[in-house]
Amino acid sequence: MVYTHKHPALLIMGIIMLAMGAATSSGIMDGVINYLHISKLVWELTSLSYVFGAIAVAVGLWHLFGEHREGNLDYYLSSITGGIFILLIAMLIRWFVAPYVAVVSKSLGPVMGDKYLHDVMGLNYVVLGILAGIIIVNVFRIPAWAENGVRLSRLGLKTGVILLGTLYSAAELRSLGGLSVVMIGFFVLGSVGLVLWFGARRKVPNSMGGVLSAGMGVCGVSATVAAAPVVQARSVEIAYTIGTILLWGVGCMFLFPVIGHVLDMGHVQFGAWAGTGILNSAQVAGAALAYQPNGIETLKVAEIFNITRVLVLPIIVLWLAVWYVKREENAPGVSVGRVVFEKFPMFVLGFLLMFALSSTGIFAPAQHYKGKYFDNNIAESKLLKSEDVAVLQAEAGKVAREDQKAALGRLLENRKVMSIDDDDVLRGLVNAGVLSKDANGVLKQAHKSVRHTAKKVSAFRNWITWLFAFGLVGLGMQITIASIRQAGGQPLVIGGIVGSAKAVLSLIVVLMFVRETI
Amino acid sequence: MPYQNILLASHGTPGARAAEELALRLCASPGGIHHLLVVPDFWTGMMGDDWLNNVRTRITYGKYVESTLERELQEHVERVCAEAEGAGARYSYELKVGQPAECLAEAAGAAGYDLVVIGSPRPKGAAGLRSRMSLDPVVRALNIPLLVAPHPDA
Repeated sequence: MVYTHKHPALLIMGIIMLAMGAATSSGIMDGVINYLHISKLVWELTSLSYVFGAIAVAVGLWHLFGEHREGNLDYYLSSITGGIFILLIAMLIRWFVAPYVAVVSKSLGPVMGDKYLHDVMGLNYVVLGILAGIIIVNVFRIPAWAENGVRLSRLGLKTGVILLGTLYSAAELRSLGGLSVVMIGFFVLGSVGLVLWFGARRKVPNSMGGVLSAGMGVCGVSATVAAAPVVQARSVEIAYTIGTILLWGVGCMFLFPVIGHVLDMGHVQFGAWAGTGILNSAQVAGAALAYQPNGIETLKVAEIFNITRVLVLPIIVLWLAVWYVKREENAPGVSVGRVVFEKFPMFVLGFLLMFALSSTGIFAPAQHYKGKYFDNNIAESKLLKSEDVAVLQAEAGKVAREDQKAALGRLLENRKVMSIDDDDVLRGLVNAGVLSKDANGVLKQAHKSVRHTAKKVSAFRNWITWLFAFGLVGLGMQITIASIRQAGGQPLVIGGIVGSAKAVLSLIVVLMFVRETI
Repeated sequence: MPYQNILLASHGTPGARAAEELALRLCASPGGIHHLLVVPDFWTGMMGDDWLNNVRTRITYGKYVESTLERELQEHVERVCAEAEGAGARYSYELKVGQPAECLAEAAGAAGYDLVVIGSPRPKGAAGLRSRMSLDPVVRALNIPLLVAPHPDA
């Protein structure tokens, strides 16, 4: 079979990208850029448009005028059209639609404290990208020429997770890993057990209880896909379960960030909650990026939880297989080795490899922490100005703690932060809210001047952001309303009860026991 | 009035079973029933937004869903076939994947049927998959009589 479509779509998309790049670099877009406040994005707007525009034009010309024969080259090149289709949507959303939504939202004024509507609702490029994907597949349908490449979105997400491995310190991974094992262990086993118990009480077939417990307990649709053949689920049971999970997942992706903002949760708290309470793994990443669109601290926490969940998946599938065999005469035999081998997520090895490489210091200076390192050999222009010093001196009397007084004294004397310890102490002073907004602003500026992000780490952050944006737009294109509409039957009842209990209980646990310091 | 060549659209639900019984009652002896089975196209989205699984797991799942649907349809076909033969009617069937209304309109135009029999939608609140057929495009497309069997729970 020849996969390549002789269609001008890829060429046209390439020309559109090149035109965007040219319009930006020539200054034609300056008015739009200023109106949308996207001057920080100009570099990626030009460079990404040129690079991917050139690729799209070259491959698009080959698609139109080349001779295509069955084979690997045809298959892989045909997927570029769908990939560029997703990328173009992600670009338009990130550069134009999301900033426009922000402009409109700001024009309406703050709606919750100093937060605007788009902040509270998480209406950023990630959520809007997923929405765009959902709208495209349900209203217009995915064009035939793009179908093959839309699957690349999974590759984008897995590559994003692998690269994320470069951004963890050993202490972070140990701490977050421990937290996630405890949280996931309790809530996964708890919800799997609860669904099976509910199922028995409501007299649902074992196959339905089995497939629903995997979906509700572990990682949503992915767990359903892995467990359905093992527990010999009937077609209607699969449809009910996947519909229920997708309905919950999409709902949670919008609801969780709003609740997080209302409760003023920290990044670690929200990441832990989303990673535990949201049923479907794709929406965990979406909610994390929706909560913190301009940083990836929340995503880092949420993805550790996602990785823990997917590592638990083979164990749960094995458990369900044994559980099912005990209850059904015609159940297929269980091979432990086969289940573990087939269900093991290989991309987690990539994540661990990147983490190991990062730990050797090849991506960032050895003393970096959370992707940043301390260096106070800074230019004169980065030192505190006399007016900044005056602001801090006027409020120095408010500081009561001796260590904070000493650190502030050294800052005022040298007009820069003098050590990592001083930096930590002054960050604590900012978080304590003792000083005025202006004084805290000066302290934050002093912190920024001595904390540097390694160039390679910065590049990784950008790539990760784009890979997740790309992947989530593509995943949005795989969420059909027709499949969500199948939510129903016992899975909707049991799933509603267990899903709500899991979300509420994990929120309580996170608020009570999880602190921002990792 | 018995019909020689009936197109029956059914998929095993209580409403469809009523259509099967009605079609068998109305079929002349000897006469023929052509059974249309539609796998609704929402199944193409039933891998959802899974991205964590590897290719092997996804292929296993895809093959499992296909074989499960095939087995369930086969059981349905065998039952209706036995009932038709018991009633002295010729039985044939075809399987389509897509929107139920489009598939029915397409099948009805393909051969010389003199009646189309379908079931009623299930009552509100009753459990079942949501792939309800919209009657409007079917009625517009058909140039033969369409008979809708009343739902047994109506």
